[in-house]
Amino acid sequence: MSTRDLVLSALFAAIIVALGILPPITLGFIPVPITAQSLGVMMAGVVLGARRSTIAVLIVLVLVAIGLPVLSGGRGGLAAFAAPTTGFLIGWVLAAFVTGYLSERLVKSEQSALVQTVGFFLAAMIGGIVVLYACGIFYLAFAAQLGLSKAFLGSMAFIPGDVIKALVAALVGRAVMVGYPLLPVRS
Amino acid sequence: MKSLFVEGNSAMHRVSARAKLLALAALGVVLFLSTNLLLLALAVVATAAIYFSIGLPGRSALARLKPVFLTIVIVALFSLAFNPWHVAIVALLRLTALMLFAAAVTATTTIAQFIDEITLLARPLERLGLLRANDVGLAVGLVVRFVPEILDRYSAIREAHAARGIKVRPTTVLVPLVILTLRDADNIAAAIDARGVRRHLN
Repeated sequence: MSTRDLVLSALFAAIIVALGILPPITLGFIPVPITAQSLGVMMAGVVLGARRSTIAVLIVLVLVAIGLPVLSGGRGGLAAFAAPTTGFLIGWVLAAFVTGYLSERLVKSEQSALVQTVGFFLAAMIGGIVVLYACGIFYLAFAAQLGLSKAFLGSMAFIPGDVIKALVAALVGRAVMVGYPLLPVRS
Repeated sequence: MKSLFVEGNSAMHRVSARAKLLALAALGVVLFLSTNLLLLALAVVATAAIYFSIGLPGRSALARLKPVFLTIVIVALFSLAFNPWHVAIVALLRLTALMLFAAAVTATTTIAQFIDEITLLARPLERLGLLRANDVGLAVGLVVRFVPEILDRYSAIREAHAARGIKVRPTTVLVPLVILTLRDADNIAAAIDARGVRRHLN
């Protein structure tokens, strides 16, 4: 891994950490504040691609594990891995990878703006929602002994907010690709 | 950014980091294999005794646990509504004991000790050519160094919005934030290589 790739991953890890500290941004049309760091995970995927975004998320998890309060609300330390929702935290790794991989596959620089945005949106939806929730729900069902169907039901309440985040991530991904392209090309 | 480590000289502080991490892993396995309520309750009492003996003032000791404990309780209540009561209680006790011991390990282990252990764990991966073990410490240092800068940049972007009378929207803030931050990567990488921090270049 080149020094530049390592630095890019570390800088994005810092963005994800900062997103947990910043005051939430309110959307114009829906009164839901965008605060969560899962937006940062989706953005890492669409901006950096599979490999570097996975490393960015791994760096964040290392920071949590060594006792820095880097998760939103000042959470951190090994105790953050003892919650019933830990699957949603560990799932970030796979979510970033899948979002990044799909972005590399679906989005090409010669496509029109709309096609690129839709491609990023699909990547963020599949990686940041389908894959992430699969990890989170399996862990919740196992660690809290909830049973799969109950864990699934209990998690559904958070889906609408995450769909909005996927849309924001897609718009950011497309704008960054135009302004400062970093996404590796994969054929 | 302040670490969750707490200065002190309790028994937990004197145990080596490796022993504590191995004990935490072992505790996790044992807790998830057992469904005996009495045993799990004893584990909670024992881990609570350990956590509250590390010299953290009572109030801040509780404040640290609040967010994680809250999710454990909420999920246990949700489980209680649908599952037999002992299933919910087993999950509650298991996760509470694990949380208490994990918090005790975090509070008594310095960042340097953790990074040493992670670097050691990364050595086999290094031999496989997957990563460089020393990069872990470098990456952690970079993040700690750049988070305050990103926060400053964020307020600068917000002020620019206010000056131009534009409403703050997620995309209009996040796009310049991401581009401005990542644009530094080349210079930072050049600075790291110029100092020979990673020895050989690739």
